[in-house]
Order: sequence, then structure tokens, then C-alpha cells
Amino acid sequence: MNARRRTTCLALALVAAAALSSRPLAAQAPPPTPRPAEDIQIVIKRGTERRLAVAVPALFAPGTAALQAKVADPFTATLRSDLEYAGAFALADPAHYPSGTRDPSAPEAADRWLGTGAEVLVETRGEVAGDRVSVEARVWDLKSRKLILGRRYTGGATYVDRIAHTLANDLVKYFTGKPGEFLSTILFVTEQTGTKEIAAMDFDGRNVRQLTAHRSIAINPSGAAGKIAYTSYVRLFPQIWTMGMDGGEKKEISTGVDLNASPSLSPDGTQIAFAGSAKGNTDIYSIGVNGGSLRRLTTSRALEAAPAWAPTGRQIIYTSDLTGTPQIYVMDAEGAGSRRVTFAGNWNDEASWSPDGARIAFACRNEGDFNICVMDFASGQTVQATSEGSNGHPSWSPDGEKIVYSSRRGGSTQIYTMDANGQNKRQLTQGGNHSQPVWLP
Amino acid sequence: MNRKLTTLTILAFAAFAALALSAACKKKAPTTAQEARPPVSVRPSTGETNVPPPPSPGARKDVEAEVLSMDIDALNKKGYLSDAFFDYDQADLREDARSALATDAQWLKKYSTVQVLVEGHCDERGTAAYNLALGDRRANAVKEYLASLGVEGSRLRTVSYGKERPFCSEGSESCWQQNRRGHFVITSK
Repeated sequence: MNARRRTTCLALALVAAAALSSRPLAAQAPPPTPRPAEDIQIVIKRGTERRLAVAVPALFAPGTAALQAKVADPFTATLRSDLEYAGAFALADPAHYPSGTRDPSAPEAADRWLGTGAEVLVETRGEVAGDRVSVEARVWDLKSRKLILGRRYTGGATYVDRIAHTLANDLVKYFTGKPGEFLSTILFVTEQTGTKEIAAMDFDGRNVRQLTAHRSIAINPSGAAGKIAYTSYVRLFPQIWTMGMDGGEKKEISTGVDLNASPSLSPDGTQIAFAGSAKGNTDIYSIGVNGGSLRRLTTSRALEAAPAWAPTGRQIIYTSDLTGTPQIYVMDAEGAGSRRVTFAGNWNDEASWSPDGARIAFACRNEGDFNICVMDFASGQTVQATSEGSNGHPSWSPDGEKIVYSSRRGGSTQIYTMDANGQNKRQLTQGGNHSQPVWLP
Repeated sequence: MNRKLTTLTILAFAAFAALALSAACKKKAPTTAQEARPPVSVRPSTGETNVPPPPSPGARKDVEAEVLSMDIDALNKKGYLSDAFFDYDQADLREDARSALATDAQWLKKYSTVQVLVEGHCDERGTAAYNLALGDRRANAVKEYLASLGVEGSRLRTVSYGKERPFCSEGSESCWQQNRRGHFVITSK
């Protein structure tokens, strides 16, 4: 990498940090520069955010060894893993935790915990009564020796993971002000059964459940307001279907046009935008979620596809090859005022809006493979966040910190997550092919 | 006498050579035209339109009856209809696609009760969303061309599979060419 490129990289890293972070560093970052001619750039290597050091001793649950293995161990492992994943926290090494000391209200005890490098102690005690578990969590600020959060959680003994996720969510919310994502869901297309079906999994790739069994082609999942929309070929010709988050109440929507691809539910769940076709000309249409009131939103002879709603529900981004290459455009939800959004590269597609509406992520290509690009919507400043494999179909985490996407490497397509700046990539699925991920709260 | 024979021999040889040459040229020309078109590395299997021109109206009826007596699966396996192949990211019909479709149109006009599904397929390059739209364009390009050759549009339905149901799943150009096509499925007869 030459010096100029490194400088560009650093500048972009700072700009990206400003765009991606609400923490103090953002204020020191330079204002976004005017859009350069070549505005797709380099992967960012290093984060600069400060992480809060937390000590998370094991759940204290007096009882049998079986109880330890069934409740305490999975709870502790899940809570620690969540907090490490969250990005806002760093886990103080459990090997250095003082034994026997839990209550840090006495100065000597607090000092011992401070000695582990932690600033905050998350202390948990559990009780099991029948098939119910209750967990009491106390969160201490070690320097001031003050109790800053105390919560009690109860639930079925078979889902201690959910209790740990709920506590982790509360900690994220308390310390960052943003919603945690540990109870969030990722919809995707699985080929595990030999045909393409819609499935769902937890944010970390665990707890996979298949939601359709059309034994045809079910693709393009979208979710909002407790509903899922998708495209199915079960009736030979593709139709839009809706279902509940658990796969129940499947309904077919008759649109009266062909193709019926890429349905996107409006944030309030009342409308579906989709790519429809009449005589080989695809346009963006919208239709009520119960069918009826079909509207054609684009009217060009060009190819339009892949619509996605703004979080406000007032605008729709989509792909059009109006100028010869597929590029991203935005219009209002009635189809008026369309304008082009991406200019660099010869293929930009599958755009997804961040939950705060400030950024879009999309599949981008100039030469060779597709990557994931993240653009600040107001300035047009764009960062390329992947560099390995052929990547696509990005979707934002509910807190806007992370992106889930698909990546094809060595003949197989799998689902990954990463921070919105490209750091901390994690593979969520294994084996077969898994694609078209969509992250829901 | 001897000289006369030689002249005859030369003439015969010349005539033979001319014939051979013209035959060679006839063969050569189309091959070259095909080879000149860049990425056509895989040719569609044409199935040779296995319906010879009938000697008499009576026999013709018999052949038609024989073709249409097959069940739909068998009819599709016979490959009477040649698929139309496309260039990368294109829905325009190439010359080889037009000539395949011209033969298909004759067959469809002969068997005028046959209904056909035209499937638009794409290779794996490009996004799933875009390829669904591109496949739709391809299927409709095939349908429109057949209609322009006199096949009733109501006998042809279109569906796009984008890159969702490829014929071939290797990452090579010959495989991608297999997947860029308008594919015929006979749905009723």
C-alpha cells in the first residue's frame, strides 16, 4: 500500500468513525470531504472506540452439579459471549477474578475487582424452583462502589439463554442507550433440505428454525411489524406470500403482475414494495399487505428491482439499470422524485437502509467480485467493508452497529456478520448454502 | 486420342475439385460464423427437429399423432424445441438464438395445440434480485420473437428463475453459458 493510499485509508477511517460512532472520537473527526471521483475505498482495519471493561463472574446458583451444568454454565457462557460481541464491552479475564468475594461495597473487595482491570461488575445469582429459573442481577460501578442497576428475571429453566440475552440487552441499553440485539432474529434462505426455503436463526447463528416447506423455491424474505413477506414458486409462477414470525398463517397475495420478486414490507407492515413485471419490463410496485391497491411506482423501460423502505416509510431505495449499469436510486413512497444515489463502480444493488436512516449498505462491484459498501446517505461518502469472497444482500442489525450479509467463498455461500465498518467478521452458518439474510429486531 | 483423354481427365478432375470446394465452402461458412461470435462455447442441443417432411397428407397426420401421443414428460425429453442462449447480462437475441427460435416456431405452428412455458435463466454472476428481472426479460424476448414469427402469444407463458435454478453449477464460462438461456417446457399438448 503506498503512502497516498494509506492516507486516504486513515482519512476514511476517521470519517467512517465519525459516521458510525456516537462516542467522543466522532467530534474530533474531520467533516466529510466532498465526494471524490473514486469514492469506493479501502477496508478499515482498526477500531478506535473505547470498550468498557466488565467482570462477569459465573452465575451463583447453589445446588447440584446437574443444576450447574444445565443452568449456571450456559447462562454464564451466553452472558459473557453476548457482552464480548456487543462491541461496547471488554470482558475482564475470569482467570483473575477474586474467589469468594462478590459484594464490592467494601473498599477492599472493590479493589480486588478493580485489580482484574474491570470498571464494572455484573454479579448474578440464580434460583431454580420447579421448571422456573429466576436470576437476580446486580451491576456495580467499582470505582464509586455504587449499585447502578438491579434487575430480576424469571423464565423457564429450558431457556436460560434467553434470560442471559435479556440481561445482556439491558446492559447494552443502559451503557450505550441503544437497544441490544441479543434477542433479534435473522431471516435467511436455506438449502439444507435440497430446495430453497425460508428459515430464521438467532443473531449469533444458533437456534435455526425452518419457516417454510414449499419444496419449490422460497426466497427473498423481508420482515416488519411481526410479519414476514417472501417470494414462492410453489404455484409454479412466483407469488408474494406473507406469514407470521413463527411461519404460521401463510397467505398468498395475488398481485396481477408477473415476477413478484424481492418483496419489502413497509416499516408499519401495511404495504409491500416489490419488483413486478409486465411483458418483460420490471418496475417497482407496491401493494397492500392483504392484497389490493396495486400501484406502479416506476415507469421506465429500464430494469428496476430490489426495493427497500426507509425506516420512516416515506422513501424507497431500489436498483435501476436506466443508465446502462445497475445503480441505486431513491424515490418517495408514491414513486415521485426519483434520483440516482450511487455513481462509483459498474454494479450497485441490493441496498438496505440503516435503522436511523443515515446510511445505506449495498452490494457493490467495480471489477471482479461483489463487496459490501456502506454509504453515508447525506454526503455520499462510501466505504468498502469487505474484501474477500463475493458478497451481497446486506442488512442492518436493529442497533445499526452491525451488518449481516452473504459471502460466497470456495463454491459455498454462507452468512456472516460484521461491524458496519468492516471489523469483527463472524461466520454464522456452515455447510450447504445460506443466503439473503435479513436482520429483524 | 491420348490428348483427348488427358483433357477429359483434367475436366473431370476440375469438376470434382469445384464440387468438393463448393461443398467445403458451404460447410465452412456457417462454422466460421458461429466461431466468430465470442462466448458461444456451448451450443444448445437442438434435437435436430426430428420431424421429417411427410410424403403425403395421410402420413403427415400419422407423424403428428405419434408426436402428440407421447406424454408430456416424454415430449419434453425428446427436445423438439431448442433453447435460446444469451450473452452475459444481455436479453437481446443472438443470431444462433434467432435461428433456433425460427425452427421452434415452425414446430409450434405445426403442433398448434401445444402450450409452452418459457423459463428465463441467468448465470450466477450478479445479484439474485437483478437476475430475476434479467431472466424475466430473456423469457419475454423469446416469447416476443416467437410471436413475431406467427406463434400465438396465448400459447406461451413466461417465468423467470433468475439464478435460482441453474442447469450447471460450476464457476466456468461454459457452465455460465448453459445457464444463460430461455428454456422451453411443454406444459400441454
